[in-house]
Amino acid sequence: MDFSPLTDAIASRFYDKIADICDNLMLHVAAEGIVFQCEWPYAIHLLGHIYAGDINSARFLWKSIPSEIKDSQPELIAAWRIGQKLWTRDYDGVYEAIRGFNWGPQTQPIVAAFSGKSAYCSSAAGRDVTVQTESYTKKMFQLLLDAYSTISVQDTALFLGMSEDDATKYVLQEGWILDSASRMFTVKKQSIVAEQKLDPSKLQRLTEYVFQLEH
Amino acid sequence: MEAVEKVVAQIQGLSGSVADLGQLHHVLKQSDELLRSNSARLGPFLDQLDPSLHSLGFLYLLDAYTSSPIPREQANEVVLLIARFINSCLAGQIRLAHDKDQVMVLEAPIRGVAPMLTAIRKIRPSSEHLTTLHPDFLFLCILAKFYKTGLCVLEDDVFEVDQPRDLFLYCYYGGMIYIGLKRFGKALELLHNVVTAPMSTLSAIAVEAYKKYILVSLIHLGQFSSHFPKYTSSVAQRSLKNFCQIYLELAIRYSSGNIADLETFVQGNKEKFEADNNMGLVKQVVSSIYKRNIQRLTQTYLTLSLEDIATTVKLSSPKEAEMHVLQMIQDGQIHATINQKDGMVRFLEDPEQYKTCGMIEHMDCSIQRIITLSKKLTAVDELISCDPLYLAKVGKERQRFDFDDFDSVPQKFNI
Repeated sequence: MDFSPLTDAIASRFYDKIADICDNLMLHVAAEGIVFQCEWPYAIHLLGHIYAGDINSARFLWKSIPSEIKDSQPELIAAWRIGQKLWTRDYDGVYEAIRGFNWGPQTQPIVAAFSGKSAYCSSAAGRDVTVQTESYTKKMFQLLLDAYSTISVQDTALFLGMSEDDATKYVLQEGWILDSASRMFTVKKQSIVAEQKLDPSKLQRLTEYVFQLEH
Repeated sequence: MEAVEKVVAQIQGLSGSVADLGQLHHVLKQSDELLRSNSARLGPFLDQLDPSLHSLGFLYLLDAYTSSPIPREQANEVVLLIARFINSCLAGQIRLAHDKDQVMVLEAPIRGVAPMLTAIRKIRPSSEHLTTLHPDFLFLCILAKFYKTGLCVLEDDVFEVDQPRDLFLYCYYGGMIYIGLKRFGKALELLHNVVTAPMSTLSAIAVEAYKKYILVSLIHLGQFSSHFPKYTSSVAQRSLKNFCQIYLELAIRYSSGNIADLETFVQGNKEKFEADNNMGLVKQVVSSIYKRNIQRLTQTYLTLSLEDIATTVKLSSPKEAEMHVLQMIQDGQIHATINQKDGMVRFLEDPEQYKTCGMIEHMDCSIQRIITLSKKLTAVDELISCDPLYLAKVGKERQRFDFDDFDSVPQKFNI
């Protein structure tokens, strides 16, 4: 089996490509009739789906894994635990699942990139890599921003997977206000991004449609 | 055996030009019987041919070879042979033998997925054609749990269908794939196609599709209308409901919004749902009723306390209500903000103002698609109105009705 596209993608930190590469490779290998189950990097494949936010595919992959392999790879089970928590929307359980396992050298960077702890790192080649998928922490912050007008310090810490002090620091930077008497944050909504510039030709086309319909 | 050798020699000799191929096709059709009667001994002959050069002959030999039951120990080898053949064959030669593509895959569904996809891409004249391979491919995707791979075929719009059965199965399996990926809108569309497609007799596919259609409709739309659209075949309108009684009853209980009632009903009919393999969907229906009830509240109230939400929707605690509301905000099902300090939820209007670039792009795209579709429909309409069979039928009807009875102007427009 030729895993070089996969290792390349991991080395250059294109974690969002892992799932597709693995899927295609697996279908290709299977069509050739090779028994691949024993040496397949299931944990990485699963984390690839999780990283890409495709929790349904992660679920189906997990279902297709033979049970003796599940039993023999603790890392795979740990990876699925993250998927499980995401699936049941156990928001802070996701962080526990991430912290609750000592990830191997291959999986550690993927998990870290997913949770958002090392999003600022640059690649081995020295150039900055834009992280394509938003990290889980960022997504959670955005969710809090959308859904709450006031929220307790304790819950904020849980959602962001940080200690209460760290969480306070994090959100104060974003302009939230702390009411220390009630231990509540007042969420500061970010002003909506300025209206994008319209392409006049598009508007022209729509006008033509309406004209057509009215006559 | 000599006769077989002669056929092989002809395959090797006549695979060069297009004219030769036509002749070869003729020869092969005639010797099909001969090949089949020797099917068990064809294995070594296949080795003499190169699938990338002699695709057509190879296909005929392969078909004859696989027409007799294959012993288990050889199955592995044969599947590999077929997979490699599909990969290397010439599309042009294969299309000649369009009706012979009954390549079968024995066990281990995952092994068939990639070759089937290649085969579909090679066989279909355009992405709008539905081949007999489509449903089989989707079925393999489901068995192998490669739902996402199925999408690359499902995303092509189908316009040309040869066999009605293909369309039924294609839409049914397609619906199941979209259900698995939780894209209920698309699933609903495909299942709807199965239920309303023209049919002269009721098929089991339509019945199963209708059951799933009811459930998905409840999950996705929060309601189900038991009226069939006008274009549904009369067979379906008449008898489909008889086969889906408990599903229809489930829909009625759902619409009352009473959770306890719904749960007892599901418990009581658990075995029937399980026998249909629909229990997973039924459970999703039950859990979606909480969301449905919360959504109803947004129509009445501007602000509501979490406690009140919990009691009206019958959740055990305000915290649980908060989590439900949060999930719905995350999925974009409602627009609201939660105020933890006062324990209140404020329901908001949809913030979409339909004036961003993205939205205009989206509108433009949709209009373009509709324009292309409408052009195609006009073309089909013209084709049908020139069709002698159709004209003959219309001519017969016309004797019964006076021509003036027809009002060619629609009474009203539904926009």
